[in-house]
Amino acid sequence: MATSQEKITVYNLADLKNTSDDAIPNYLNSLGFRQSHHLTDVRLALGYSAFALAAACFAWDYQLGFDSTKYFTAAAVAAYTLLNGALTLWVVYAERGTVYVGTSPPSAGGERTVRISTSTTKGVPTYHLTVEVTGGKKNGGVEVLKVARAFTEWFDAAGHFVAAPFQAMLAGSVPVIGKADPKRAAAAKKESGGDDATPAYTPEMLDVLAQANVSVVGSAAEEATGAEAAGKKGGKRRKA
Amino acid sequence: MLSSLQNPRQAAAQLMNFGLILSTAFMMWKGLSVISDSPSPIVVVLSGSMEPAFQRGDLLLLWNRNLVSETNVGEIVVYNVKGKDIPIVHRVVRKFGLGPDAKLLTKGDNNAADDTELYARGQDYLARQDIVGSVVGYIPFVGYVTIMLSEHPWMKTAMLGIMGLVVVLQRE
Repeated sequence: MATSQEKITVYNLADLKNTSDDAIPNYLNSLGFRQSHHLTDVRLALGYSAFALAAACFAWDYQLGFDSTKYFTAAAVAAYTLLNGALTLWVVYAERGTVYVGTSPPSAGGERTVRISTSTTKGVPTYHLTVEVTGGKKNGGVEVLKVARAFTEWFDAAGHFVAAPFQAMLAGSVPVIGKADPKRAAAAKKESGGDDATPAYTPEMLDVLAQANVSVVGSAAEEATGAEAAGKKGGKRRKA
Repeated sequence: MLSSLQNPRQAAAQLMNFGLILSTAFMMWKGLSVISDSPSPIVVVLSGSMEPAFQRGDLLLLWNRNLVSETNVGEIVVYNVKGKDIPIVHRVVRKFGLGPDAKLLTKGDNNAADDTELYARGQDYLARQDIVGSVVGYIPFVGYVTIMLSEHPWMKTAMLGIMGLVVVLQRE
């Protein structure tokens, strides 16, 4: 099930952001980036250990009663508070809205770590991306790029996500991604044509592209993708 | 929405969020228990025996530590009777002796007689350890929801189902 066929409500900012967020790993992994799940794994470990502790506390309380276990319960409450606090700190300070961490393929000018975090402001349909690139030629310094683009550039009026302009936006504004996907980067450069104010794709083009995506469902269109595995797993098709 | 369930980590994270809501509520309850030293620090009044002080559905906050003074005549306490699982909220009207061995007699403000009838067979008084806590605060009527839920069990099922669905389907 390709997400492009799934409609979202264009008035729902969370839907816009989540759909776009989900498209980033699919795209970058299809380019040969190696995704690191470290941030998510730590969050899951913290959360599930807190949950396991609460479950254990529930079990002994249920079996043995309150009075005979109250010191264990007090300790469990304290530990749970610490774990949950650590989880909150992790989400706020370590993750900071990160949706993707990965290493670029060596073929695209050396391995670099790319970390993308996204955010939106309430009521404003703009997608804010912060891209941190580590391990460039300048002694491993961190290079930070900030990109803010309107969701209308890659969602059509009906709420279909259109992959091509979204990928062109990423390839065009982040050099590391551009190197890994020169085709999209070139497309982005050509379309923007010097005038930065105009979006690369007009609404009419988006409709046509969304239509094209729908019409190829179930047909032999798969062979056109360079990212078959990623397309199947993540449900996104990257049409080159 | 549902397509996010294809990603195992995202599914695990959503399940975790749901679990953490439940476990945090439970641990807050347990934390309150530990602080007040009471197995059940918040109770709902189920009968009218303490009217006009408390009505059916009032939420009571309990405290079970004798830090300043021990449990005295005039305090409203919640106690358990062996063999009955429903806690009772009544006022202490007589006290004989001091310390943990004191014998306490309770009565509902709205009842004609004291509680000896309500105690277990052969029991004439309460000991300190029968008491779950003394009432230190109350919120009128809020607990009526739980009375509704326990009298109409299908409401409980429906409510849990709806809450679960909302959490699973919604991100953010």
